[in-house]
Amino acid sequence: MKKPNVAIAGLTACFGCQLTLLDCENELAAMADRFTFAYFPMGVTTRTIEGDFDAAFVEGAVSTPEDLEMLVHLRSRSRLLIALGTCARWGGIAGLKNNEPRLPLAETVYGGDAHHIDTFNPGPLHRFVSVDAAIVGCPPEKPDIIATLAALLAGTLPVFTAYPVCMECRERENLCLLIERNKLCLGPLIQSGCGARCPAAGMVCEGCRGPAAETNSVAQETLLREKGFTRDEIASRMRRFSWEWDHDQDH
Amino acid sequence: MTRTIELKPLTRVEGHGIVRVYLDGNRVENVELSLCESPRLFEALLVGKSYREVPEIICRICSICSTVHRLTSLAAIEQAFGIEVSPATLLHRELILNGGQIASHALHLFCLVLPDLFGVAGFTELAEVAPDELKLGLRIKGAGNLIQETIGGRTIHPVTLIPGRMGKYASPNALQLLHDTLAPLLPKAKEVCAIFAAVRPLSPPVAPLSPLALQGKNVPYLFGDILEMAGENSAAVADYRKLIREEYVSHSNAKTCTAAGKVVTVGAQARLSFTPGLSPAASVELAAHRERLASADIRGNNLAQAIELLHAIERSLDVIALLASTPSAPEEPRDFVPHQGTGTAAMEAPRGTLIHSYGFDSRGICTTADVITPTAINQAAMERDLLALGRGMDGADEAELMHQMEMLVRAYDPCISCAVHLVRQDERRGE
Repeated sequence: MKKPNVAIAGLTACFGCQLTLLDCENELAAMADRFTFAYFPMGVTTRTIEGDFDAAFVEGAVSTPEDLEMLVHLRSRSRLLIALGTCARWGGIAGLKNNEPRLPLAETVYGGDAHHIDTFNPGPLHRFVSVDAAIVGCPPEKPDIIATLAALLAGTLPVFTAYPVCMECRERENLCLLIERNKLCLGPLIQSGCGARCPAAGMVCEGCRGPAAETNSVAQETLLREKGFTRDEIASRMRRFSWEWDHDQDH
Repeated sequence: MTRTIELKPLTRVEGHGIVRVYLDGNRVENVELSLCESPRLFEALLVGKSYREVPEIICRICSICSTVHRLTSLAAIEQAFGIEVSPATLLHRELILNGGQIASHALHLFCLVLPDLFGVAGFTELAEVAPDELKLGLRIKGAGNLIQETIGGRTIHPVTLIPGRMGKYASPNALQLLHDTLAPLLPKAKEVCAIFAAVRPLSPPVAPLSPLALQGKNVPYLFGDILEMAGENSAAVADYRKLIREEYVSHSNAKTCTAAGKVVTVGAQARLSFTPGLSPAASVELAAHRERLASADIRGNNLAQAIELLHAIERSLDVIALLASTPSAPEEPRDFVPHQGTGTAAMEAPRGTLIHSYGFDSRGICTTADVITPTAINQAAMERDLLALGRGMDGADEAELMHQMEMLVRAYDPCISCAVHLVRQDERRGE
């Protein structure tokens, strides 16, 4: 079988999703053996996008004309386009003030030079192109990346769990930080697949994987309000990684 | 007739960068290094957020440096509120800082630099031409990541590092596993020094460094409270603005920095140029290469990172032993009340000095934020060296020129996603 041709590119992001791939220390040699990384500037000296790809993994949100150009280019060259990580899937941390106009934000950082900066509100890939699959997480979990690559070899795409982090957390029999410690834990609402990593370390779920498909966010918000958290605190936490999440409109 | 050639994008570095070389005939007229990462406006994102959220948000600036960003922000927050942390917490933080150093240096040396030594395009081909070296590098990198995951709860964007204490202490079993993973790597790390000591640059030398690094009394390597420059100029971290000046340049999204009016360099080689208190084995290696490192241009940085790798492994083993011998009862949250104030802290990130400075209001809400990263500090030196290299290689083959230039930039181990947006907050706001 011909090795699948893969592109891995980053837009507006921290490069953590691509680094997670490079952090697969035990699998990296096997990946190099089974895939052709035809475009992967972070890991391999490839400067031009040539030929067609079987799959393009794109990390990051779209926030500049160059981001958009790269995204459209990869979409047009690739059979599958896979959103790699929470920024690509949900907009991510860079968009956490998308409810505010961009120029004043840029002025906060660049002062009077802000008008030189060509930037718009960071958005997820699906706002601009069709996306075939998504790996979530900030950063993603290694097994999700490996499962996706393995699925590609088998000619398919992986199926990820649809239930929230709470399910995995209960399975691990962790102390419930929300009920028993009255902490602002987002476990009941967030897409699972991390094995409830943070609650298992005694830390709240900060929501880095984005909303799960079916959750009762109104009930969660009511519970948090009863526990004394303010509306602003709750909104700030819920929108940290997915600012478009209309959490108080869910049913 | 002027023409331009470009390295676009710079490869095997973290983030998006471009080198533009302006040629008149065959003569290099000018070189521009453009750090063209999309601006993410992190400092603006922090304003209005609670001090509790600040470390969780700011670590997302950069993946490779997420641990040190988070640690530096904690130190700045704790300084603002006058919080003292326990010795056990400090040891955990030192251990994870070293874990990040190991992972980052191993990634740089083995996945990003090593392909150049074997004349291949990346790790994919290394798997064929140098499988043993790649395997060694990945093993060391994995050990650094294991430290980060064990102490931080996650390799990238660690979660247990919070203001005032550790969210979780490492268990005796976890410490034992770390010890067993790291101990066999100590002799291997000496081999790494030998690999990178054997490399000599093939293109003409550029200027030796004007180093800047963090120093302090009675603090471990990579920590400190003085920004030290060779010669007479140095400043307390709290006074960093008096020493370091930033300037916006139109071809880059990161501001360039100068310290006391000079172009300075930060990073492993700069750190080793002072008198660092390294571990025994690393001190031996440093003594063997000290003169060479002192006279070398930035291409000595790869060897310097190899020596630091050895130190980080040896020091981590010491810290693990200290933690294992200290009873680690879970720490109760320290009582502290956020109040209006400012805090500034610095740490040595793998690629150089990193500074965080915040202001908070009486409720602990962030009113100002300023982050200066090593790559932003190094940008001016990178451009200067690229121009010198281009002039020194007058008439050279174009492909070879660009290849040598990319290797030169790579030696700085730039982290471009950190550097962009890491420019100062407009002081008119919030002050």
